[in-house]
Amino acid sequence: MEKNKFYEDLSLILLRTQRTLLLTGCLFLLVLFFIWKIQILDHKKYWSLSEANRIRESVLTAPRGLILDRNGVILADNAASFKASIIRENCLDYNLSLQRIGRLLGIEEDVLKKRIARYESWPRFKPIVVKDNLDLREVTRIEARRLEFPELVVATDPRRFYPFSSLAAHVIGYLQELSPEEIKSEQYKGKNLGDLVGRTGVEWEYESLLVGVDGKAMDIVDSQGRVRGETGRVEPIPGQTINLSLDFDLQRKATELLEGREGAIIVLDPKKGEILALASYPTYDPNKFITRFTPEEWMGLVSRPDHPLENRAIRGLYAPGSVFKVTMALGGLDSGVITEQTAFFCAGTIQLYGRPFSCWFSGGHGVLNLTEAIHHSCNIYFYHTGRRMGIERIAEYAQELGFGSLTGVDLPGEKEGLVPTPEWSQRVRKASWYPGETISVSIGQGPLVVTPLQVSVHTALVANRGKKPIPHLLRFPVQSPGHNDGESDRGVARIKEETFEQVIRGMWKCVNEGGTGHAASLEGFDVCGKTGSTQLISREKSEKLRKEIKTHSWFTGFAPRDNPRVVVTVLVEYGGLGGATAAPMAKELFDLFRSKYD
Amino acid sequence: MIDRRLLENIDWFLIGLLLLNSLVGVLIIYSSSHYLPGKYYLRQLFWIAASLVALFLFLVVDYKILLTYSYYLYGALMLVLLFLLFTGNIVAGSKSWIRISSFQVQPSELSKVALILVLAQFFSAYKRSYVTSGAVLLSLGLTVLPFVLVASQPDLGTAMCFLPLLLGALILAGLRRKAVVLMIIFCLLTGVVGWNLALKDYQKKRLTTVVFPGKDPRGAGYHILQSKIAIGSGGLFGKGFKKGTQSQLRFLPARHTDFVFSVVGEEFGFIGVVAVLLLCYLFVSRIFRSAGKSRDRAGVYIIYLVGTIVAFQILVNVTMVIGLFPIVGIPLPLFSYGGSSLLANYLGISLVLNIKMRRFVNI
Repeated sequence: MEKNKFYEDLSLILLRTQRTLLLTGCLFLLVLFFIWKIQILDHKKYWSLSEANRIRESVLTAPRGLILDRNGVILADNAASFKASIIRENCLDYNLSLQRIGRLLGIEEDVLKKRIARYESWPRFKPIVVKDNLDLREVTRIEARRLEFPELVVATDPRRFYPFSSLAAHVIGYLQELSPEEIKSEQYKGKNLGDLVGRTGVEWEYESLLVGVDGKAMDIVDSQGRVRGETGRVEPIPGQTINLSLDFDLQRKATELLEGREGAIIVLDPKKGEILALASYPTYDPNKFITRFTPEEWMGLVSRPDHPLENRAIRGLYAPGSVFKVTMALGGLDSGVITEQTAFFCAGTIQLYGRPFSCWFSGGHGVLNLTEAIHHSCNIYFYHTGRRMGIERIAEYAQELGFGSLTGVDLPGEKEGLVPTPEWSQRVRKASWYPGETISVSIGQGPLVVTPLQVSVHTALVANRGKKPIPHLLRFPVQSPGHNDGESDRGVARIKEETFEQVIRGMWKCVNEGGTGHAASLEGFDVCGKTGSTQLISREKSEKLRKEIKTHSWFTGFAPRDNPRVVVTVLVEYGGLGGATAAPMAKELFDLFRSKYD
Repeated sequence: MIDRRLLENIDWFLIGLLLLNSLVGVLIIYSSSHYLPGKYYLRQLFWIAASLVALFLFLVVDYKILLTYSYYLYGALMLVLLFLLFTGNIVAGSKSWIRISSFQVQPSELSKVALILVLAQFFSAYKRSYVTSGAVLLSLGLTVLPFVLVASQPDLGTAMCFLPLLLGALILAGLRRKAVVLMIIFCLLTGVVGWNLALKDYQKKRLTTVVFPGKDPRGAGYHILQSKIAIGSGGLFGKGFKKGTQSQLRFLPARHTDFVFSVVGEEFGFIGVVAVLLLCYLFVSRIFRSAGKSRDRAGVYIIYLVGTIVAFQILVNVTMVIGLFPIVGIPLPLFSYGGSSLLANYLGISLVLNIKMRRFVNI
């Protein structure tokens, strides 16, 4: 602009204006640079953040596969269960809210706080389960006060339910919530907080079949957590239903028989190895594990002196007692130290290695051969047999016939038991083997311990005349060839069939001709068996105490003699004489089996 | 009063830019609030119309006359602000509103215009190359008064807009290096004192979250984070009109007011951001370039100060929504929803037009 006297000289301030505009332009470019960084360079990061804002995934719990018995009776079911969840962002006053919810649901405020704290990192508006397995009264109480508790929502979920509660609890097992530590471990990858997994039994063993695949719903939500639509949905795939070999009636009978006692019963199909019943007593209610024990309940269950959680059939270790005489007879015959005609004289007591060993029948059996020795369960006869065989050979046969190693049953936590040898004595006890111990082992005492299932499999092997089955529970779907219906045996003992016949003759007499097992005899169902009464302390000592110390009571047997279809093994802790306690129980099961399957 | 010659000299281009920016703003306001009751886009359209009328009415009066009465205008507005402090109803947490039937006006926005006039009047007599300390103190006083009154409403965002006016006026008048140092010291002091005595907790929290937005994503950092997510997720082309999930699903706070720029970023992407910033820059640059058309010193001051306050608000708002500046509640001029701010901006532009069309002496 031309300068003249009408106009002031504004050049200086105009220059300053221009500079300011220049500076402004630079600042605009700078801002643009920062936006470019956010929108172009970091676009992916912010895009996924916006998607995470917008889409809320919720898990659609897959129902667990059902567990059925061999006839389709449902042993483990799914039931709809109500759970109450809290949405933190909907609380008007967080602390007051916790207080009131605690009162409504009967949860301590501290417990509630701790529970919610575990989910600290969850996205906004994601409901956190505060209590599940609500009963209907609780559900109505919450629903009735819906307006007062906008932060509380009730939803349903399929939950494990065991309709017969404690029946077959040890076989089926139970579920428990994963701990935060376990979630992080490799084994439980992909699991979420609050998920339940099988902890023992079939629930543990066949977790991979039963578990199914959780689905998910992807909802579009707004900033208030309200659902505005759905972008995707993956339906859950239910877990596979499995059929067990258990027979509901036999299982129930076995459990009833054990009621009030401590012990185990196994009913086994000797040919296929299918377990028809496996009961352990005392037992527990697996439903309780899902509803979350109170700490007191849990401690009570774990520290009870009769150990209800323990599966005695596969984890209880007992001296086999006279049941082991069957093993001894087979070993003695096969190794040639005795024949069926070999006779020994029983005077009720005998001096061996400078110590007296007695027979249970203090009057003495007189002269008897092998069949009679099994028939009457004579101790002296088997002392002689054991002395002739020696401990190494006894151990060899015991192992071959199924003791001292796992039976391979499809349940977790099975124990091996112990077949003692001099080598074991040196290694573990740091002491030499005493010859007198061989005599004790000969009648199933001493350091020798077995599980009831091993005894059952041993009996099946005898019944099969040498074919040893692998006991199993799963019938469908079939997993490994070892668990196949047809060839569930693990090989054949190299003992001649004739040898088995000789021993079985004694077992038949034991039951049917007034032997120790006569209480198990059943008209027209050729039961063959052997009793056992495990001494817990020596006879002399008990006489000195002038008190009757009860023995563990065993019976194991099979029927019918020629085409064996069922094996029954009964163990009752402190049950007294095997013939008096265990044998009558076995009879009832033989009877039930016959009436059902004949 | 307005003759043909004056009309010929009206800067229609500037008015066009003004309207274009405002209408683009309405579009974005529509996208971000069409699902809310209240029809904000219609209300904004009404405000645009009303402000346009006010703009033309204001043109009738020679800015010289306005300058003469500027002290009275300033004084009257200060009284209103003082009055508001004692009697005002609290709306959205501050006493900054006057209700006129169903519309509300913020006198604090209008006092920006008054301060511009007062400062221009004061410095127009100032013909030295550099400013004296006496002048600095006086202009400081003129600015601090509305600043304190508005800040105690409390509306820190609007109050802050007075500061660039003072600084702008002083820069134009010529600030010595010594004075710049003094001002920096003053700012630091007010900063320290203000932080410890004057700032409310929520304001402090906002300041700290600019530095650490991720520290408390559910709390104070939430707004900044959501805004950055909105802009960042827009990418190059954006998610499309009315398709921004951050804004449509209400994750973004104050979508139609302070965070309107984030909606642009999300729905129109980097392209949209560049376009809007370009419109803003054209607008600012058109204002600043008008200074050369002023016939006198006061005119340059007015134009310069209008340009400064518009540029300041744009830059603060944009840096605010991308997390570089604390959330102080400064809207994006012309784009954000808000009648008072719109009116104040239109009146500012009216002054610029006024000066440009009366560029010749003795008409």
